[in-house]
Amino acid sequence: MTRLSNEQVALRDAVRELADDKIAPRAAEIDQSGEFPWDMVELLAKQDILALPFPAEYGGLAADMISMLVVIEELSRVCATTGLIPAVQELGSLPLLHGGTDEQKQRWIPDLAAGKMLAAFALTEAGAGSDAANARTRATRDGDDWIINGEKRFISQGDVAGLVAVFAVTDTSPEQVNAHRHMTCFYLEKGTPGFSAPRVEHKMGIRGSTTAELAFADARVPDANRVGEVGDGWGLAMKTFERSRPGIGAQAVGIAQGALDVAVKYAGERKQFGKPIGLHQMIGAMLADMATHTEAARQLLWGAAERIEAGDPHAARWASMCKLFAGDTAMAVTTDAVQVLGGYGYTTEYPVERMMRDAKITQLYEGTQQIQRLIIARDLLANL
Amino acid sequence: MNIVVLLKAVPVVGTERLDGSLLTDRSVQLEANGNDEYLLEKALQLTETHGGETILLTVGPAGATEPIRKALAMGAARAVHVVDDAIKGSDMRATLDILAAALRKMEYDLVFAGADTSDGQGGVLGAALAVRLGVPYLSYASEIEPIDGGVRIHRLSPTGYDVLEAPTPAMVMGTQLLGAPRYPSLRGIMQARSKPVEAWSLADLGLAPAAVGGGASTTKTLDTSKPPERAGATFVREPADAAVTQVVDFLAGRRLI
Amino acid sequence: MGAIWAIGELADGAPTKLTLEVATLARTLAEKAGSEAKTVLVGEGAAAAGSAAAAYGPDVLAVEVDGGLADRPLAAVVAPRLAALIEERQPSYVLVGASNDGKDVAGLLLGLTDLPLLANGAGVSWGDGGPRVEMSTFGGKLVTHSAFSEERGMVIVRPASVTAEATAAPGKVETVGVSVAAELPQVRVTDRVEETGAAAPIEEARVIVGAGRGIGSPDGLRVIEDLAEAMGGAVGATRAVVDSGWVPYGQQIGQTGKIVKPALYLACGISGAIQHKVGVQTAGTIVAINKDADAPIAEFADLFVVGDLFEIVPRLAAAIRARKSGSS
Repeated sequence: MTRLSNEQVALRDAVRELADDKIAPRAAEIDQSGEFPWDMVELLAKQDILALPFPAEYGGLAADMISMLVVIEELSRVCATTGLIPAVQELGSLPLLHGGTDEQKQRWIPDLAAGKMLAAFALTEAGAGSDAANARTRATRDGDDWIINGEKRFISQGDVAGLVAVFAVTDTSPEQVNAHRHMTCFYLEKGTPGFSAPRVEHKMGIRGSTTAELAFADARVPDANRVGEVGDGWGLAMKTFERSRPGIGAQAVGIAQGALDVAVKYAGERKQFGKPIGLHQMIGAMLADMATHTEAARQLLWGAAERIEAGDPHAARWASMCKLFAGDTAMAVTTDAVQVLGGYGYTTEYPVERMMRDAKITQLYEGTQQIQRLIIARDLLANL
Repeated sequence: MNIVVLLKAVPVVGTERLDGSLLTDRSVQLEANGNDEYLLEKALQLTETHGGETILLTVGPAGATEPIRKALAMGAARAVHVVDDAIKGSDMRATLDILAAALRKMEYDLVFAGADTSDGQGGVLGAALAVRLGVPYLSYASEIEPIDGGVRIHRLSPTGYDVLEAPTPAMVMGTQLLGAPRYPSLRGIMQARSKPVEAWSLADLGLAPAAVGGGASTTKTLDTSKPPERAGATFVREPADAAVTQVVDFLAGRRLI
Repeated sequence: MGAIWAIGELADGAPTKLTLEVATLARTLAEKAGSEAKTVLVGEGAAAAGSAAAAYGPDVLAVEVDGGLADRPLAAVVAPRLAALIEERQPSYVLVGASNDGKDVAGLLLGLTDLPLLANGAGVSWGDGGPRVEMSTFGGKLVTHSAFSEERGMVIVRPASVTAEATAAPGKVETVGVSVAAELPQVRVTDRVEETGAAAPIEEARVIVGAGRGIGSPDGLRVIEDLAEAMGGAVGATRAVVDSGWVPYGQQIGQTGKIVKPALYLACGISGAIQHKVGVQTAGTIVAINKDADAPIAEFADLFVVGDLFEIVPRLAAAIRARKSGSS
């Protein structure tokens, strides 16, 4: 069982207090308005939360992975939209951190760490979701620049980000496609001519986290904005998921914990047939299972993080496992939380209906649960 | 300006209890004495504005590293932790000797002490320390500011405040009116790990174990009890007018009006 | 056994109420101990104030202080003189009232003499050959009794832990001269500022109306002040209210404020956390007004009115006024 260090406990407690005092009161409104919560970005930036995943030499806090996951969990416990902000900040920055030059890091990371600029990760397209390698957005060389044409879909915070990691096809030849060397990663700054976010989705949950369509119409980007070598794109994306998938796992654990807390409190106070409903066996059993699964998801998450950070050769499998289990747990726990609250759980008077709607996305993005299972199975069978 | 803040490590509020020897059980989780954090906050504000360092001084068991780390996370530069098994059971006099010996090995412009402690015995050590160290003593501060070659405070008085001035180095004892302590930032929490905490033993201070601790104590706890319970409350749940009539009758019955 | 001394404090040329309480305590302890008691007054006008203090029993030692020290903090002037007197006359026990100046004096004496110290005494009785000091600790959760290991020590005594009682046989006043080897390191008082709205010390009030978080805003104070006025009482507040800046610190009641013992305490919108409880639990009668019937204050109130304080308090003030004017 993984235990937190004293410092991680201090971090968790500090963020928990912040979440309870300043973020929880905003959660319902963020969900109802569907507006991106810039005030939450400011709050997180002020508390240095956005600096956590970045190296110290660029103004970051060089936090270890578990520290990052603990922070995402504590925020997601009260507001899944807000919990996603640092997760996406990391997601959008990981290709840069893994493949960028020192000059590129120096150019962009200080503002990302300070929360002055948000990052986003644009790989998915209308016709390339699970089959992400089938992306069509093209980047064509033109002198010292590249010209990008195409569209991306379902990009978290794609419209509010100042810097977007765009994965574009740079070589359509069959050998390169088969070798997964056909894509390259480019970082585009908001305001680049030809680069726009024409639409945002209307969603079931995490409604404050704007999910955008991105359009590229002869968008010109200098070669200095290419991150990694030509053809490194797919590899950078895969490497990114090793860290970003646990981040979503943490969001899921947080959502589950938040719902569990509401359900336990309610079951302790609501009396029917002469006693608190939590003492009736069917409700008690539900709460027990919810709590056990949430803790198991958390432990798997932390165990995966330790291994990924240690450079485990099966890092991709660990990342998939923890995201898979946490996402399914969040969906089950939030659904049961609504059940425990009965009719009241179905209304907006209690937050569990929102938490249930929020939980669903953790089974969908960052690779669907089905993709996670494929990755795990392939890794198990890898030596055959 | 360098400011030493005396930070007492006390049991987390709500978990306090006495041990078998009727001493405060410090083997439980410890936190900084609430009032001391107000002094720490003021020290941080002053060193941030005027330059210099805020240094923590704690006499306490091993568990005191927890509140020390938190105080470092708030922004203190470093800490001195006097820790020695022989200190357990020390009375106020021995604590005074230990603190004075520690401060004599440190350099400072100001020493800050709190006006109260969770065990109710606060507000006196600062004065005694000032005498031992031969420095001016300024108490019950609601405001502290540096002046040329010295310090100025507002001292609470029954009708307002008095303005006191003294040359530094000086000892200042302060109240909650100095302003609520900040939450440690995440940056602070993570930077705390690399800030120096020096551990000093009695030997480092030139003090003999026999001079402190339970054996040398000049006071002793005889017994403990719970505070006397009052005979439960009578509840009045009527609407306002009827309720008020009941209250008036009750007060009249006790000859209070 | 040496004498038991009560260290007195002067305000406007007269001994404070706390001084008279401590003097009474010294007298009763000395009777039990079979030794003598003294009240020691140090300050400008000490001799003149002597007889008022002597009415409470012990002989008074009055030490006059040169007016030239008026720009120094009181305790800094008093403590070295007391230390010299203690050195000369070797009392066994020294009792100091827990005013801010009193605590400063006791602290300075801890540094100037080698007397052991027990602080925060809520009650002192004569035990087995020495004082038995009751102290409340951990925010009022626990009461402990302590004693000195040898037959000497200092005790800091909280206000209202003793009822001052004049005696039929007042003591004599003796003016004493004291020479100090050295004054304490210099602190100058450069200004004394009076703040408007500073109320009379609430420790003296017979009736106190307490304001808690339930008042909601500084405007909420008005109904509290009105009730206090109707009852001829004082306004007190919890730490939360003082920290919000709505009421001055001098009116804070609780572990980190004043301990009060009024005949009647009306707690309005106060939940009754333990740190506040310790400030009022010895009041004669406690009436609580709170919307929440589960508030901890129900455990130590005598009467608990479940209701909105903004409904109850104005009506109560009106009813009391009506009763006083004889029209009810």
